Amino acid sequence: MEVLEKLRILGESAKYDASCATSGVARKNVGRMGNATCAGLCHSWSADGRCISLLKVLLSNDCVYDCQYCVNRRSVDVERATFEPEELADLAMGFYRRNYIEGLFLSSAVVKSPDHTAEKMLRCLQLLREVHGFAGYIHAKIIPGVSPELVRALGFLADRLSVNMELPSEKSLELLAPQKKAKNIFTPMGQITDSIANRKELSAGSGKKMLESSAEYLKPKETLDPEGEYPLVVRDGRKKYKEPFAPAGQSTQMIIGASPETDRQIIRLSESLYKKFRLKRVYFSAYIPVSDSALLPSRLTAPPLKREHRLYQADWLLRFYGFSAEEILDEKNPFLDERMDPKMAWALRHPEFFPMEVNKASLEELLRIPGVGAISARRILRQRRQSAVRFEDLQKLGVVVKRAKYFVTCRGRYYGDAELSDPNILRVLQIDDGEKQLSMF
Amino acid sequence: MIDYIYDGTFEGFLTCVHHHYYNEKAAGIYPADQYQTSLLKPYLSVETDEEKAAVVYAAMESKISEQALERIYRVFLSDLPGKDNIALDYLRMGFKIGGRIFGLHSHPVVFAAERIARKVGYEAHRLTGLLRFSVLAREDESGRRQEILFAKIKPDHDILELLAHHFTDRFKEEAFIIYDERRKKALFAFGKKWYIGGLDPSVLPDADPDERAYRKLWKTYFDGIAIKERINPRCQKNFMPVRYWDNLTEFRCEGSADGVK
Repeated sequence: MEVLEKLRILGESAKYDASCATSGVARKNVGRMGNATCAGLCHSWSADGRCISLLKVLLSNDCVYDCQYCVNRRSVDVERATFEPEELADLAMGFYRRNYIEGLFLSSAVVKSPDHTAEKMLRCLQLLREVHGFAGYIHAKIIPGVSPELVRALGFLADRLSVNMELPSEKSLELLAPQKKAKNIFTPMGQITDSIANRKELSAGSGKKMLESSAEYLKPKETLDPEGEYPLVVRDGRKKYKEPFAPAGQSTQMIIGASPETDRQIIRLSESLYKKFRLKRVYFSAYIPVSDSALLPSRLTAPPLKREHRLYQADWLLRFYGFSAEEILDEKNPFLDERMDPKMAWALRHPEFFPMEVNKASLEELLRIPGVGAISARRILRQRRQSAVRFEDLQKLGVVVKRAKYFVTCRGRYYGDAELSDPNILRVLQIDDGEKQLSMF
Repeated sequence: MIDYIYDGTFEGFLTCVHHHYYNEKAAGIYPADQYQTSLLKPYLSVETDEEKAAVVYAAMESKISEQALERIYRVFLSDLPGKDNIALDYLRMGFKIGGRIFGLHSHPVVFAAERIARKVGYEAHRLTGLLRFSVLAREDESGRRQEILFAKIKPDHDILELLAHHFTDRFKEEAFIIYDERRKKALFAFGKKWYIGGLDPSVLPDADPDERAYRKLWKTYFDGIAIKERINPRCQKNFMPVRYWDNLTEFRCEGSADGVK
């Protein structure tokens, strides 16, 4: 089979993986070709508006598993293809040299066994790093059930590793992906967390021990780039080890809408993944019906894109805005409100915090104001050291004034044309309030 | 008050700033090719003076800040009319109040400069991704094969220099040329060294025979990766404005090597 055919089949089979980041590691060209920038770099955007930064392919789509939600499951009749490691390494270098891509994202279906597949993937990464002298970004997928030695070997070659959760609960996993056991997902995830935490000494497969040791994991500290605009995450102590293990950390992905979990369960699970496993990212992927299985939504169901969008917003609140999962959704509110972003929803549930005086609020408080983002909050702080922030300044500082004005005062004065206690506040905020008002009013 | 006219170089601009402080106050600073002379306004064509420029350069660094220097330079690289006066205003304010100008985001003078500097920086960042090399090849006199990477861009702002560091590190063993077709100049680089100069693209060698195959591979991959249920052209164009599409392999006709140069 021609490389072109393989690329067509294996690129299309990999497209449902949402991860695209190339961030988290800054590296000069220590090999012969390639480097990595901390903020990441996108090279193109496909027709669905998702960025293309890495050559995202499967090594093979010839799977022995039969996961219900998957396009490549064993029982379905699709074109099958497998790259030779050499072939794929050459292709990735050819693309990288032409600046089509920022690096390689290598995943695979389970060929024969998880270990057999991982060995092939390892071979490809070795060729890239050792034969081609590639110093660009590599993201490697860890297949559940792979042995700890292989995880370890892959981690020393890749920048980021990921083990996909796929489904947000053990029950759904059992139902829809019977060959993937929750234990097989959390064991490598724990091993990766542990290896990153103790880069010197790798204790393979010690999923439980990891939980204590990783608590002290170098906490990412926020700093500002020279331009003073974008918060970057910089880790301490990176340079101590010559061969860092997965320097850009690990991520995971969950499919949204294939199983009955609530948004609250998903957000709480994400939070615990960030806390316990120190994940860099949790990706959500709206389920696109690919099978007629009775266990799944019918083929006519539209992918829940809006829900996915709101979940990502909530995820941002967890990672950059200091919110806890419990604040975003509590027992009474198991799903995110699709009509407004989760921060606005939180603010409307908590009128007691508002209006906030922008000249007095702390960074943590500023970040809670709808319409104020991570960048504008820091600009407000910087400017405040020189002179008081006036209402007219807010827009220039990057604040979305039409939202924020109902939640702030500037030098003591309130500029909103209605107060939060106004029964028509939703209409004033131009949020479609449908037929019934929110219960709190 | 007088209008200063300079040759379009950064040193020329700095020389004008020097004149503003040590000669006569500037009503405005303009590059020669954009200046409309008038009988009513006195003007002076300033000859670029490296020493005077160096004095101003050092003063910006020590009396304002390194960040301010970088911001001014980015404003200077922009394509917006009147950028010189925005830079001058920023400098005058900076020399008055020093490094704390950096935090005064909403002051009109600072806001104007910051906005332009951000645009320039953003375009440079964008083009580090939205730039495609083609492999050109020829044999030299002794029959040895030589390869050059060649990319063509059409940026709004004069950002070639801002791309240099990133690409010379990334492709440190390659010879490459990035050609700005709007300004008819190019970045030439080999082995971590680089310079910017004029280029006539017609003297370049032809595309390598493999080039066509790689373009086809990339186009096939690009088309296949989109999820049909999520097609969203508006979102795509937001991130990747149509004005850049001309030079992107993925939007060219499949498998063709046209438009390499």
